Amino acid sequence: MRVLRLWAAVTLLALPIMAQAQAQPQTQPRVSVADTEPGYRQIQIDVAVSPDPRVAAYEIWFAENSFSSTRDALLHSRIAVMDVDGLERGAPGENYDYCQVDGLPAYLDADGNAVIDRNAARWSCALTGMVPGRDTWIAVVPVSADGLALVDVDGLQPVSGRTDASDERTPPPDTRPVLYALGSIILSTIVLLVFLRQRDARKGRTRSRLAHVYVAPAVIGLITLTFYPILYGIGLAFTDADQSHLGDEAWVGLKNFVTVFASPGMWRVTGFTLVWAIANTAAHVFFGLLLALALNRAGLTGKTVYRTVFLLPWAIPGYISVLAWNGMLQPEGLVNGVLGTSIDFLAGADSARLVVILVNIWLGIPFMMMTLSGALQALSADMFEAAEVDGVSRWDQFRYLTLPNLKSTMVPVSLLGFIWSFNSFNTIYLMTRGNPYVGFGEPGATDILITYVFSVAFEYGQYGVAAAWSVLIFLMLVVFSWLYLKKTRATEASA
Amino acid sequence: MINTFDRFRVLLAGPILLGSLLCHSAALAQSPSSRVDPIEVWYTFAVDSQEEAIFLRAVDAFEKAHPDIPVKPTRIPYLQNLSQFINSSQAGEAPDVIRLSDSELGRVGHISVEGLPLLEDLRVHLTPMQRSRFDARALAAMRYGNPLYAIPVSQGCLSLIYNRKLFDQAGVAYPRDDWTTEELLRAARSLTRGDILGMSVPLKWSYWFVPVLSAFGGAMFDPSGRPTLDSPGSSEAMDWYLDLERVHGVTVSSTSLEAMSTQFLLEKSAMVFDGAWNWNTYANQGLDIGQAVMPVMAETGQRLAPLASYFGWAVSKQSDAKVDSVRLALWLTSADVQKEFALSTYMLPTDRSLARDPEIAADPVLAGYIRQIQHTVQVPTVRGASMVYEQLDVALEMTYTGEMTAADALAAADVEMERVLDR
Repeated sequence: MRVLRLWAAVTLLALPIMAQAQAQPQTQPRVSVADTEPGYRQIQIDVAVSPDPRVAAYEIWFAENSFSSTRDALLHSRIAVMDVDGLERGAPGENYDYCQVDGLPAYLDADGNAVIDRNAARWSCALTGMVPGRDTWIAVVPVSADGLALVDVDGLQPVSGRTDASDERTPPPDTRPVLYALGSIILSTIVLLVFLRQRDARKGRTRSRLAHVYVAPAVIGLITLTFYPILYGIGLAFTDADQSHLGDEAWVGLKNFVTVFASPGMWRVTGFTLVWAIANTAAHVFFGLLLALALNRAGLTGKTVYRTVFLLPWAIPGYISVLAWNGMLQPEGLVNGVLGTSIDFLAGADSARLVVILVNIWLGIPFMMMTLSGALQALSADMFEAAEVDGVSRWDQFRYLTLPNLKSTMVPVSLLGFIWSFNSFNTIYLMTRGNPYVGFGEPGATDILITYVFSVAFEYGQYGVAAAWSVLIFLMLVVFSWLYLKKTRATEASA
Repeated sequence: MINTFDRFRVLLAGPILLGSLLCHSAALAQSPSSRVDPIEVWYTFAVDSQEEAIFLRAVDAFEKAHPDIPVKPTRIPYLQNLSQFINSSQAGEAPDVIRLSDSELGRVGHISVEGLPLLEDLRVHLTPMQRSRFDARALAAMRYGNPLYAIPVSQGCLSLIYNRKLFDQAGVAYPRDDWTTEELLRAARSLTRGDILGMSVPLKWSYWFVPVLSAFGGAMFDPSGRPTLDSPGSSEAMDWYLDLERVHGVTVSSTSLEAMSTQFLLEKSAMVFDGAWNWNTYANQGLDIGQAVMPVMAETGQRLAPLASYFGWAVSKQSDAKVDSVRLALWLTSADVQKEFALSTYMLPTDRSLARDPEIAADPVLAGYIRQIQHTVQVPTVRGASMVYEQLDVALEMTYTGEMTAADALAAADVEMERVLDR
């Protein structure tokens, strides 16, 4: 009986204690900041907890000042606590966060968030989003499934941590080789000019004492701004430079040239470029000369007005004119409106080619007209009066007097016109962007070499291959110019 | 009096000084320097969409809240946005913050300078709670591989927009969300009269082909990111798509992207598949327009699912103010800013708290696009994502001109994609 009473007394005494134990909050997890820094904007915390079936998640709170209540802190993350059966462990770098449990990567839920095993007594996490160079105060709060804190949220004892890891920043591009090259070129040019001047002085060419100094800025400018970029471009054509790793390109020999010659559509685009350049130059010269002759007729009134009107296409920025033409040639554009049709002039390969050529001809005539008009005005009127008196027909005057006398102007401007047309980027790029397509991996129907090179360089990012194309364009133009000048000089000599 | 030799020396001094300075600059070029410049933000928005005004207001508010962080917003033309960023990054002159789409991230993701990517991995910059604010699909679209390269700010997709006046004039019932393509074509045929088209579809722009492709069960990529342009159903989809002109005559192949908007603006077409970004352009012209979810493909029973496009604010790897740049990016993607964007521009927010926002839900246009975005497909943010459209465009052209069958063109497009990716 005494034993029973003693048992009852103990039980009665124990009941409130048991009840108190049932409601007793969990002890605060012990948080420590790891000595090692996991990386930029991260602080590593190690957490020791007492496994408790009531804990459904751990909330991590942080602030820039010490705090005792979550009201004065920000919620950093909420890490779920659950059974990890069937879950996979994460791997460093793959997911958003990196947590470890007992030294192993934490399991991940379906969304890739870290999950703590119910039985885990220690876990650690690299906390992201920390501001470097400042102390950060951190506390961990266990919460139940219904989101209630299992510790006193007004009596928190946060720990402080700090990250001083610096960010990984791309180093500025190494411009030293370019600057050294330019500096060396300039100094070498100066030395050369000094040498040439002294040589001239030794040979008694005293009239040209300052000539070398006067030409020095032009020579240096030409070398640094023209020759150096050309040489750099040629050098680039022998490397594997591309958009994905510019700056650490390697020498690949003639590989880029092989790629160019093996490109589908290479000969087609070269052929169309020649057609484009010849058609444009011929039309520019023909119509330019026609208009110049018309404007040069004696007795024509309103010459200035006509010249101004004809000059307008040249006076307006080229890209605006081209965009205006583009709009006018659309199915809903002005041209179709006038014709009462809805033809898509730029849809078919042939029609698009014809249209871009016509637009470029329209753009280029004023320059040729003004140049030839100036040359025509410089011709002697006496010569034509004499021919008139001798009864020479207008056609023969044009053929045997005007044309031969215009040759000194026409040859360089037509050469210039050819080179400009060959490298005329704006018209095609703004009208069609090289379209329509005619095959996979090929230049478009209206692409010329220069527009295709632009695509290769800046749309496909193949700088080395684009440089190889540019070298070929350069060589084509050098050869053409040499042949053209040689031919026209020969004609001049035999005349 | 200065003699000739002295003049020579004086004149020569200039170039010598220039040469020496260049060499000296070369030696100094690698020395570190400190920068106190404002945060430079490059942005590009659709014209007339009011996005720019709201963005600039958000920047002003940020500067007021953070007076020690000046911001310099710079508008970049849409088509040059990416290429300028790549070029400036390679020249060491990248802006701190830039707005990019998921397909642009796919193109930028594999590019590196000095072995480092062009963009900062934002995973370490955001706390999990900051990150959890965003829609999971939008967040995934901003990842290239493992890194998170941008904070998602908006999402959008194509949907069916129609002109009520033209429907009323033709006595045709307005489109409904449960429409099938048979009903769509029937309506389009009834609406095609004189110079008015039933539909304006830019037939040679593959972005508009994607909804049809998905309705036939085709896909541009498999889950691993490899191209699958010739997947089953693709050729049937392409034929159905081109038949809109070839067979049904309800649209014309000459319709470019600009022509589509122009035709609809001029009330020369009754329906377009267009994004919310153009809604204001149409509405501001006084058009009485309505919106419906894209129809269900009668042949397959699957709904036309357009591509979901995502935009986000990214931080350059070269930025020397990354913490402040991320702070700005978070500001620009905050729920308040996103809500203002959504209500004014109809671009859908990516902040999850706005999914049930009463004001957004009450807006008929936003509600319509929210319904549509439930029926979209997402392309993985991979390198090929930015290249696939060109190959599909070529395939459409080759099929349209009759030079290839749809199946052959798509197979060739797939081979070309593989070749480009392996290059």
